[in-house]
Amino acid sequence: MEGIFGNLATGFIEVFKLQPVTMWGMTLQHVPFNIIMCLIGCLLGTLIGVLPGIGPVATIAMLLPVTFNLSPIAALIMLAGIYYGAQYGGSTTAILVNIPGESSSVVTCIDGYQMARQGRAGPALATAAIGSFFAGCVSTLVVAMFAPPLAEVALKFGPAEYFSLMVLGLVAAVVLASGSLIKAIAMVILGLLLGLVGTDVNSGVLRFAFGISELADGIGFVTVAMGMFGICEIIANLEQKEHREVFTSTVGKLMPSKEDWRRMIMPILRGTALGSALGILPGGGALLASFGAYTLEKKVSKYSHEFGKGAIEGVAAPESANNAGAQTSFIPLLTLGIPSNAVMALMIGAMMIQGIAPGPQVMTERPQLFWGMICSMWVGNLMLVILNLPLIGMWIKLLTVPYRYLYPSILLFMAIGVFSISNQPFDCFLMACFGLFGYVCVKLGCEPAPLILGFILGPMMEENLRRAMLLSRGDPWVFISPSKPISMGVLIAAIALLVIIALPALRKKREEVFVEET
Amino acid sequence: MKIKSPQDWWAGLMFIAFGLFFIVFALGTPEFINNMMGSKLIAGYQMGSSVRMGPAYFPVMLGALLAVLGLIVLLSSLAAVGPAVAKFHFRPLIFIAISSLAFAYLLKPLGLVLASVILIFICAYGGHEFKWKEVAIMSVVLAVFSVIVFVKGLTLPFPVCPDFIEVCPIR
Amino acid sequence: MLRLLLLILLAAAANPAAAQAWPSKPLRLVAPYAAGGPIDISARLLAAKLQDSLGQPVMVENRPGAGGNIGVDLIAKGPADGYNLVMSAIATLAINPSLYPNLPYDPLQDLRHVTLLVQVPNVLIVTNDLPAKNVKELIALARQRPGKLDFGSGSSGSTGHLAGEMFKIMTGTYMVHIPYKGSAPALADMMGGRIHLMFDNLASALPSIRSDKVRALATTTLKRSSFLPELPTLDESGLKGFNMTTWWGISVAAKTPQPVIERLSMEILKAMDAPDFKDRLRNMGSEPPAIRTPDQFSSFVSSELKIYTELVKRSGAKAD
Repeated sequence: MEGIFGNLATGFIEVFKLQPVTMWGMTLQHVPFNIIMCLIGCLLGTLIGVLPGIGPVATIAMLLPVTFNLSPIAALIMLAGIYYGAQYGGSTTAILVNIPGESSSVVTCIDGYQMARQGRAGPALATAAIGSFFAGCVSTLVVAMFAPPLAEVALKFGPAEYFSLMVLGLVAAVVLASGSLIKAIAMVILGLLLGLVGTDVNSGVLRFAFGISELADGIGFVTVAMGMFGICEIIANLEQKEHREVFTSTVGKLMPSKEDWRRMIMPILRGTALGSALGILPGGGALLASFGAYTLEKKVSKYSHEFGKGAIEGVAAPESANNAGAQTSFIPLLTLGIPSNAVMALMIGAMMIQGIAPGPQVMTERPQLFWGMICSMWVGNLMLVILNLPLIGMWIKLLTVPYRYLYPSILLFMAIGVFSISNQPFDCFLMACFGLFGYVCVKLGCEPAPLILGFILGPMMEENLRRAMLLSRGDPWVFISPSKPISMGVLIAAIALLVIIALPALRKKREEVFVEET
Repeated sequence: MKIKSPQDWWAGLMFIAFGLFFIVFALGTPEFINNMMGSKLIAGYQMGSSVRMGPAYFPVMLGALLAVLGLIVLLSSLAAVGPAVAKFHFRPLIFIAISSLAFAYLLKPLGLVLASVILIFICAYGGHEFKWKEVAIMSVVLAVFSVIVFVKGLTLPFPVCPDFIEVCPIR
Repeated sequence: MLRLLLLILLAAAANPAAAQAWPSKPLRLVAPYAAGGPIDISARLLAAKLQDSLGQPVMVENRPGAGGNIGVDLIAKGPADGYNLVMSAIATLAINPSLYPNLPYDPLQDLRHVTLLVQVPNVLIVTNDLPAKNVKELIALARQRPGKLDFGSGSSGSTGHLAGEMFKIMTGTYMVHIPYKGSAPALADMMGGRIHLMFDNLASALPSIRSDKVRALATTTLKRSSFLPELPTLDESGLKGFNMTTWWGISVAAKTPQPVIERLSMEILKAMDAPDFKDRLRNMGSEPPAIRTPDQFSSFVSSELKIYTELVKRSGAKAD
């Protein structure tokens, strides 16, 4: 324990260190430079998070050459700030205008947007910020205290374990829908199929591309999300007969009420725990964090009937899970040198070009850097919550802007964001197609959220299934053999969840039949 | 036979169509059709075995599952009463789609400023009311904002001015 | 009419002068992969350097798709004016031509290769649990247990995959190829002991080698790497002539004027010789390439193309 305090002290000293800085030919003594870089990173992250379509990966890549003129610690503090700042900003767009910029904010859209429509955008945004902050604090501590042993756990996950985890995730995806169960399952499967478009990892064969070379790398998540949520939402709003002058009639309160506070505590705690655990897995565990947390809440909450209609738990749990996962996904990077997502891969690139080989030796060889970065994450989270709470007032004002001004701006930002992914018109064309498809789905009572989750998990699921079969030389028992207890446990949990989901639906059916008969 | 739930009826049809679509493109056209046409219409991918799954394996399984689920939804629409399909509004649909396409295909030749203005004009026209003055002001404000934030700030490699202008005053 | 003729004449006269005036407008450097990878990062590093020395902005544009072919094709078919460059790589110039049946460009006819920027050796690494302590023991083990050893790679048709195929051919052994999406997940599975070996590029494997999470057996280059001077090469270990690196550099459209190519090559070499840039490339695992002139680079590309065409054919790897 004492060691930890010593280390944290080293880190905080590094973060708040005053150093001479030369800018524009002037040299200033005693500048808290690292903390300024942290602030810049957080601000920039919030900005790109709010702008739909521009993600942290592209931003960090573009800023990388600039950071080489900074010290390694300042550069890493800033880049990390962009990463978790974007998570905060992304939830704002999800809640206000129903556009998920990142896969993690898809579920925030469901209840967050409903809260905004009911004039409760303030409490929703505040809940997201508070939940994220709490989760950020706890998971930073987890990173600081348990990083090496947790990394060992992460290595226990192979293709079989990941496949089972994806199965659990897909079962959980069904819970996202509030309407028909069977249609939700069908949408998940359709999402899985759409995710298969592109080059097959195992054989290198190009599937379902129909000679369009732009489809060779598959359909991008951002393109689908912008289409099925963003474009579709704009069309749906414009078709309202009595045109809505403004987005919401009442602005409502800024801060959560006492009742809200009471209801968000447990979801935040559970979300943080789940997110911290899943974030450790380098093979895409963090993706499941927010979905998993939402499903868990919907199943354990007393207010499960409110989910999908603006339940505060549906914002608190996924937002804290997602932020916790974002922080703990630094564990495989810092202890094994393995990046768990594209942003982490870029961080490795940044470290290497600065002459630091990522891996466990960083902790012992460069303690200032390691602990400084961890402490900066905590400081950054504090900055973000301080930054974001006052911003809520401004965001809510935005909702009182007449919709006829709002939607062209949203559409323009989405188009720019989607275009910038690969700098060609085809992605915007796809976005429009998914917008039309999403509109059809809404008309047919099919919800987009399960499709999106299937779309994200599909390729990973197939990849891991086939890899596991290759490694086991075709033994299907590899998923439930006693030599793979994790995989077996996860699959059993998936079956249990399936039963829990199916039972009420079946019972309801019986009751309906009963009612009809009498 | 009467359709009691039109929403489910159409949703079921959609799922079946998607399911079959993926199956056909994964497996390729059946032998007898190939023989009839004299050539392979759709090439298809290798099915493989459960040990060494080919690229067609997963899509065929999922496609079949989707088609079956679609069939269940379709049949249930004959049994239980459900909501009707709400009316489609084509005006916003078409204008929103066209405006984003116009932006995408005009960005390279015309530059960010003009492409943004075009997007805003077309999509504003798809709304409820269209006031020239308002839309003009909005397009100028948003074009300036985009240039500052995206091109200057985030350094996206977008052209600002149209191709035919030799010397661009910006940049 | 006369004015029009005059204009045309003027334009024609201005054309040769254009090379002298080059560059008179911003340059575009296409990175044919998504933002954030090593090729993209080095493109951005180079762009920043060139911007200073050329006095014109150099914009990096990501054009991912089809294993990099889309971005390279764009430059191969684009204007040959020296303002459009592409970061071409071993994949797009040497491997993809035989991997993809309908490659839209010819890597030798449609492009001029200006400068080889980065050359990273691959290393043969094995899990710590594997009893083989050197290459000889590994070969013996592979012969003893045919089809039981698994080797991972970043993707089907990557240099890591093809190095493994080359190893199989040269040693007459059989091992199963397990493709991944990038080398990081393969490395994780190797640390977890689920796959036995892989040929990874030095940059991504180095941290795990240094922290003893995996064991390096040999490098795939003819010369030992200065990063791991104790590590023998495969060539020394009995696989005579085994020489595979991952490389990338700058190419332009084939008809680009010679003076422009020379100037461009000179400026890039100047950047590569600058200590700070050199350090950064070295930190990415690259040692300064011996190949420096456009002609050397072009003949290097054509010899690599021959080697990999043969290798891809023999290994049976394909994509479409």
